[in-house]
Amino acid sequence: MVWDGALRLVHWLMVALVPLLWWTAEEGHMDWHKSFGLTMFGLVLFRLIWGLIGTWTARFAPMVQRIGSLNIYIKKLRNRDSGATFGHSPLAVLSVFALLLALTAQVTTGLFSVDIDGLESGPLAVLISFETGRQFAAVHELNFNLLLALIGLHITAIAIYYFVLKDRLVEPMVTGHRSRADFPTSDLPENRLQLLPVIAAAALALACVIAISNFG
Amino acid sequence: MNRCKLQFMLPVLAGFALLSACEQTAETDVVSETAAVELPNGMTVKEQIEARQGHLKKIGKAFKAISDQLKAGSPDLAQIQTAAATVPTEAMGMNDWFPEGTGPASGIKTAALPIIWEDKTDFNDKIGAMQDAAAKLDSIAQAGDVAAIGAAFKTTGGTCKACHDKYRKDD
Repeated sequence: MVWDGALRLVHWLMVALVPLLWWTAEEGHMDWHKSFGLTMFGLVLFRLIWGLIGTWTARFAPMVQRIGSLNIYIKKLRNRDSGATFGHSPLAVLSVFALLLALTAQVTTGLFSVDIDGLESGPLAVLISFETGRQFAAVHELNFNLLLALIGLHITAIAIYYFVLKDRLVEPMVTGHRSRADFPTSDLPENRLQLLPVIAAAALALACVIAISNFG
Repeated sequence: MNRCKLQFMLPVLAGFALLSACEQTAETDVVSETAAVELPNGMTVKEQIEARQGHLKKIGKAFKAISDQLKAGSPDLAQIQTAAATVPTEAMGMNDWFPEGTGPASGIKTAALPIIWEDKTDFNDKIGAMQDAAAKLDSIAQAGDVAAIGAAFKTTGGTCKACHDKYRKDD
């Protein structure tokens, strides 16, 4: 088991939500945009908590350590050897951190954004002035482009692994599994999903979402 | 070698310099000329555009104040009433804010689309609808029924959008 069920569910829900959020924003379906946005906020929050108390491949601390072997990994890639990594490769760590940072910035600025007419606003925009809310909206729009670029990079990388390195990375993100034989060492860390942390992380994320949606 | 390069570069550089100079003078001239043009109402184009943007921004602010209170568990009626009262005042005379020549062709930054002046009757109808809705919102706000205020606020917002969707550049 490389990717636990909770992580996969969150990942694919995010994949579904990004285009929905984009479309609802473009078409001005702001009620839907706010509901989807709040859902996305909950997912991002869960993922961040999961990075602290989740399974080994989801946790941030081992991911940060992986960055140390970035140079060696890139050298391997140059030799057309993707060298299956249990969890995130050193390069993937950077990608995931960038994506999570952009997502966090996106959902946070959304909470405070105000539209140009003052008619629509995020649940926390009550706390700030019209002008400041407009600035949040500007960052919200700008950062979305950054997010799109990072998503594009992410998909491109998956495609390069698939076509050039013959490494199918989507499969484990769907099934959660990858053959033990693919990894250079059989000494893999314990990575099983445990019920208590999942419930704790989900409850905490949900509580924050409810608190924010009822704010005011 | 150096001379060769220089000989080749000089006309190119001169061309660039000339081009950029032309462009600059042309652009700034047009902008400053139309911006300073005096409209029949005595304002310059720039003043007119900035004045309407100022009014609309104040309406946006008032709307945010109302929507903030409507979102709250226990809305502050006094704040809603103050904000609702500013909307009809700020929207007064809106038909006169868009005289001919105050579109994007003036060179001044404005989201007003040129089709405003192609269908001025419809544009003014939509302004009228907004002003009516805003007046109603104000009187309902002063009466103090929060649910009714919420409905009137939605209606007023709809009249804003009806116009903006058609006559304002997407931001």
